[in-house]
Amino acid sequence: MSRSKPMTRWMTTALAFAFAGLAHAADPIKVGVVTPLSGSYAPIGKQVRLGAELAVKEINAAGGVNGRPFELLFEDEEANPSVAVRKAEKLLQQDKVDLLTGTVNSGATLAVGQIAERNDRILVTTVSYAPSITGAQCSPNVFRVNANAFMQSSALTSWLIKNVPGKRYFFIGPDYEMGRSTIAAFQADIKRLGGTDTGSSFPPLGAKDFTPYIGQIRAARPDVIMTATAGNDTVRLLTQLKEYGILASHPHLAGAAGAVTQENIGAMAGAAEGFLSAAGYAIDIDTPANKKFVAAFKKEFQTEPDLFGADTYGLFYLFKQAIEKAGGTDTAKLRAAMEDASWETPQGMKTMRKGDHQAIVDMVVVQVKGDGFRTVGRVPGNEAVGPDNCDRF
Amino acid sequence: MLRTETSRFRGASWSWRNAWPKVGERLMRALASPDPRPLRGFGLLMLIAAAVFPCISGSFYMRLGIESLLLGTVALSVDVLLGCAGLLSLGQAAYFGLAAYISALMYLHVTRSFWLVMLAVIGAVAVFSLALGAVAIRARGVYFALITFSAAEILSKIAHNTREIGGSDGLIGIPIPSIALAPGLDIDLHNNTAFYYVVLAALTLIYLGTRRILDTGFGSVLRAVRDNADRVSFLGYNPFWYKLFAYVMAAQIAAFGGMIYPLLRGFVAPHLLGFEVSTKAVVVSLMGGIGTLLGPLVGSIIVTFLESVIGSYTERHLFVLGGIFVVFVLFLPDGLFGLARRLAAKRAEHRS
Repeated sequence: MSRSKPMTRWMTTALAFAFAGLAHAADPIKVGVVTPLSGSYAPIGKQVRLGAELAVKEINAAGGVNGRPFELLFEDEEANPSVAVRKAEKLLQQDKVDLLTGTVNSGATLAVGQIAERNDRILVTTVSYAPSITGAQCSPNVFRVNANAFMQSSALTSWLIKNVPGKRYFFIGPDYEMGRSTIAAFQADIKRLGGTDTGSSFPPLGAKDFTPYIGQIRAARPDVIMTATAGNDTVRLLTQLKEYGILASHPHLAGAAGAVTQENIGAMAGAAEGFLSAAGYAIDIDTPANKKFVAAFKKEFQTEPDLFGADTYGLFYLFKQAIEKAGGTDTAKLRAAMEDASWETPQGMKTMRKGDHQAIVDMVVVQVKGDGFRTVGRVPGNEAVGPDNCDRF
Repeated sequence: MLRTETSRFRGASWSWRNAWPKVGERLMRALASPDPRPLRGFGLLMLIAAAVFPCISGSFYMRLGIESLLLGTVALSVDVLLGCAGLLSLGQAAYFGLAAYISALMYLHVTRSFWLVMLAVIGAVAVFSLALGAVAIRARGVYFALITFSAAEILSKIAHNTREIGGSDGLIGIPIPSIALAPGLDIDLHNNTAFYYVVLAALTLIYLGTRRILDTGFGSVLRAVRDNADRVSFLGYNPFWYKLFAYVMAAQIAAFGGMIYPLLRGFVAPHLLGFEVSTKAVVVSLMGGIGTLLGPLVGSIIVTFLESVIGSYTERHLFVLGGIFVVFVLFLPDGLFGLARRLAAKRAEHRS
């Protein structure tokens, strides 16, 4: 619809008016998807789009929601909050969508969430992981169905403390706001769980030479090195750790989910072997629901789903369940229906927490093996989710 | 007349050593319109069109209109510098963003009085632009562009990495205030139509004020500085002070848009200070017509609406917009207003 020609649009509108009396029950449920379709976040936006399209195709083929089909309207937010807000207003005020989703970077989610609140509609993010979205800056109109940064950290650290023998931890993260806050979360969790913090260092973002920090790491004799670097920074950090012989004593490597990815794993020539991280989804989760989802996704799009595709796919089953329970798309009723929902997703059952609108998701711990990842453990969602810090509603 | 003499003077003093800055200057001079007189009729027509626009548009397009006018202030400030003073600034978003942050922080933590916020913004922007301007305008051509660009990037990075002002996520929750226009007369900005007319009126005043200032002797000296700063100093004027005044004035214009932005969209984020906002202002100014003041405003309105409409029909909207810019640079280097002016001139010639 969003990419149809204006002429088709006019005709659809005209037809819609003509049949308004007859076809009232079949009015589509419009879902606005504001997601990056261009720029460096486009791969994430693509997974969001494919996940949404697959779910909508399945639900509509099975008769829709109370006989009403889902209709998706996509807008490119360019990973820029001012564009996202502009597009969200268009979807809300011009296209009159019933629900919003798709925002990727946390700034855009926060800003669009506020617009949704001011327009009395609901936004659900399936990607943003800043804890503040369901914490200090929570909104009665914003929900999150993916795991947040806090959950990634607490799931990983609790798994490490249980399964890794040594208790000495060293932390290394890029020197900017995001890097420091990720490391701070790791440190707090490790201390809480009884590990020893042997030190931390913050090389500048994009650092070429980690030599000054390697002496510090060697002196700290850590059992586990945790990092929050990303992309090429991880490549340089891990290969230099290997060159300096730090990895010869086999410390465990662990870190943020974005540190080692399919994109940079090949460049490290084995230096990342054994790297552990926690996420809300792994493609090899061994359940019938996930196998069915992965097979359908591959058949439909000839590509593999990732975390973002799976979370967005799962969201539409929450929408379906909540709209059926609320008997329509009235925002207040829909909010009430979503607040205590439990629903089936490729990851297993997710449960929405009423107090802060954060979904409780079982976490998986994955480990680098060769040029891929394998699941080595699961952490139940209620162990990882942490306290409810929202006091606005 | 000044122009022909200028080039003769230039020819005499040309040397390889300082050739590059001069290439930059020449390019800018070519871009700047030779005739800064307003197209009054066209301006009036635009104003009438803008005034009746809310009658035919829904709330979304009205709010998009407000945003395009606010972004237009950055374009207008680029034009004051480039069109009149011959200074290409690639960092005008610094003032838009700085004002947006000051306004957001004040509404969140200090006061809800529109006028107090405005005073704070004007004061802070004056201090900052005087300090940066005094350094930057000593450099010429491409170096001026680089200094302004870096300053804006530094501010953007500071905002990005300072947790107290929201870090990379920015700030949300900025309230929508009322403006106390006179005792007993409050304008509630929740009302989109009122909001639109307030911004339109303010921008019209800013435009007319800028026009008025540039039509005085000050404007003439400024344009002479643009054409040949050395010669102007021989005439007894110090180009530094003229450029500095123009720089501070341009900063205040962009700051006005920045101050209102958080009231419209309810948030601020580091990218408001960034390269994208700065360069887009330059591009829309080129499309509208450098040196015309009205052209950049019109360019900003057109591009904001195009971006919003094209994006709904194709994912390749950046490609389409890029194509339109290339067409402008190749075939209409003096922008829409240049085209209008040439057509008007042709018709006048035809008549005589």
